[in-house]
Amino acid sequence: MSSPFDINGGACVAMVGKDCVAIACDLRLGMQALTVSNNFPKLFNFGPSTFLGLTGLATDVSTVSDLFRYKVNMYRLREERNIAPQTLANLVSSSLYEKRFGPFFVSPVVAGVNYTTGKPFICGFDSIGCIDFAKDFIVSGTASEQLFGTCEGLWEPDMSPDDLFETISQALLSAVDRDALSGWGAQVYIIEKDKVTKRLLKGRQD
Amino acid sequence: MNHFPESWGRPRDDIYGTYNPAYLQSTGPKAHTQSPAVTGTSVIAVKFNGGVAIAADNLASYGSLARFTDVKRLRKFSDTAVVGFSGDVSDMQYMDRLLESIDIRENYSTHGNMLNAKNLHTYLSKVLYKRRSEFNPLWNHILVVGFDGDKKPFLSSADLLGTTYSAPHLATGFGAHLAVPILRRLFPEDRPTEDITKEDAVKALRECLKVLWYRDARSLDKYSLAIITEEGVEIKEDQRLENQSWAFAETIRGYGAQVV
Amino acid sequence: MTSLVNQQPHSEAIGYSFSQSTHAPNKQHSFYPYTDNGGSTLGITGADFAILAGDTRSVAGYNINSRYAPKVFKIGGDDETGEGAHILLSVVGFAADGHALKERLDAVVKMYKYQHGKPMSVRACAQRLSTILYQKRFFPYYVHAILAGLDEEGTGALYSYDPVGSYEREQCRAAGSAASLIMPFLDNQVNFKNQYIPGSGEGHALEPKKAGPLPRSTVEQLVRDAFTSAVERHIEVGDGLQMMVITANGIEEIYTPLKQD
Repeated sequence: MSSPFDINGGACVAMVGKDCVAIACDLRLGMQALTVSNNFPKLFNFGPSTFLGLTGLATDVSTVSDLFRYKVNMYRLREERNIAPQTLANLVSSSLYEKRFGPFFVSPVVAGVNYTTGKPFICGFDSIGCIDFAKDFIVSGTASEQLFGTCEGLWEPDMSPDDLFETISQALLSAVDRDALSGWGAQVYIIEKDKVTKRLLKGRQD
Repeated sequence: MNHFPESWGRPRDDIYGTYNPAYLQSTGPKAHTQSPAVTGTSVIAVKFNGGVAIAADNLASYGSLARFTDVKRLRKFSDTAVVGFSGDVSDMQYMDRLLESIDIRENYSTHGNMLNAKNLHTYLSKVLYKRRSEFNPLWNHILVVGFDGDKKPFLSSADLLGTTYSAPHLATGFGAHLAVPILRRLFPEDRPTEDITKEDAVKALRECLKVLWYRDARSLDKYSLAIITEEGVEIKEDQRLENQSWAFAETIRGYGAQVV
Repeated sequence: MTSLVNQQPHSEAIGYSFSQSTHAPNKQHSFYPYTDNGGSTLGITGADFAILAGDTRSVAGYNINSRYAPKVFKIGGDDETGEGAHILLSVVGFAADGHALKERLDAVVKMYKYQHGKPMSVRACAQRLSTILYQKRFFPYYVHAILAGLDEEGTGALYSYDPVGSYEREQCRAAGSAASLIMPFLDNQVNFKNQYIPGSGEGHALEPKKAGPLPRSTVEQLVRDAFTSAVERHIEVGDGLQMMVITANGIEEIYTPLKQD
């Protein structure tokens, strides 16, 4: 039996720039080698400048994104403020660990700009909530090995939002082109302190 | 009391688990060496200025039984090389016989024995590779030390799969885990081997053997040590580990005397 | 009293009064003739050169066997040092098979020269290597081989192989444990995949950036970047980078240290 992480396919990557972060994902949804949809975004918005990327088993991607929509809404009602990316990261971690012995088969990525400090923040998780606080980039999904290669080769510190967009796009597109289970277009969010730019990339359709 | 005759004279199932009758099997397809029987543990070696030192203990184990305690696992080849064997002892003796016949043949030839350690390593690794390709491996991991064609110190390894590699210091078996880190710390690989004296190398090997004796349950405190230099091969067999300190054992639960 | 509970009903067959068999199927612990020695190799061609590079770490599981075990070899040289060779071969995977393969191809190329009185062309050598690999189709050489040289026109030639001899001429190829990390980076930086000429059009009219032979200095830097990146993220890659550059003037070997962690 194949791993639940590799059934539907998909890729996600987040990067830090100068006073900005970027997060991107592919759009493919498959069942093993068969592509079922080319419009399955894996990025979810949880506040003005906070995003969560989810790759892995598609049913868990939907379930977990819905679960966090509920949890973050409850947080906003109770606290009367938006959730900071750091807080979301801890919420994701503890929520995933609650399911330690029957986990969701997802590899989440959090990216955002903290609205009080203005500092960019990214982090990644394993499926049971262990946090990877990275200063450069986070990758996840079936193309993660390829993404490690492209990101490690293309990323440099303190990029402007425009450079960051170009870098994350090239890294993602080149990576998913070498992964049979990812691709079919991509979504990129460039997050600055008080501006979020969403771009759609066509990419190879095969 | 179990009244069924098939269990008479056998370990009780309720205590030792279901008896595996496979051990009674005496017939079957022709079996190659699919696992080693009587084995020797680590061999360790290090290059120094003008030569190579190699050491191995004198134990041949049969599973967890310390079966033979006086087995010499370092073999001298005609004053030019030493081969250290770990793994199956019968396969070692077979390879020893191969070396013996080569040595005799070479010595009777008109040009005399001109094979150096590098040639010997090439030969033995090809024997090992051929046997693994026939699915009938010689279950050994060997180190060959001596000099290469340019009279430079030579140290290289070959295993049962025919894999070969060389480095300034090498160890087989448990030694790869316990001795190599010590040797790498004492003699960093970016430092030229010319900086290492013979005395330092030998001292390091003895120290490594001591660590192996402390922690490798299939090791012995009796060992052989060979030093090969331009002058020739000096083999010291029946060496004993000195200045042992078992103080560390006190801190380990189940190793020392404490019960709690 | 497990044996009481587990008694099977007595069969009609003549034999012992007890049913439990004293025979069991042969226990087979079969010998596995392969191992993975890790590492990665990479080849890129240019207009008048080809580069073949590999890291020099050799591993067995989590153990580092050696920090200097070359994976790139000169083929068809006149002596042990490989002097006079005009073909390069890199092998990554099971080192013992790699070594055997290299020795075989080396002998073939040498014999060709003795028998025909001229050096073997890279194209011919490439086909011969494929045949050698396929001859062991049902007990393969467990290696990913890359062959490099200069073709009849003097341009860089690179051939990459799977373990059973499928091969293809390419501009660039990464092989080994970090191939999946390096290859997409090469697609992007050597063949300019996903790169377009800014302002050349809208939508489908947008013109892709044309890939052409790169200068040697650029290629060398790309190789170094690819390996320093792979070293960061793959534990089996590191210690040293061995680069062999083949030009009309012969083969140049460049060694640079990589991280040892």
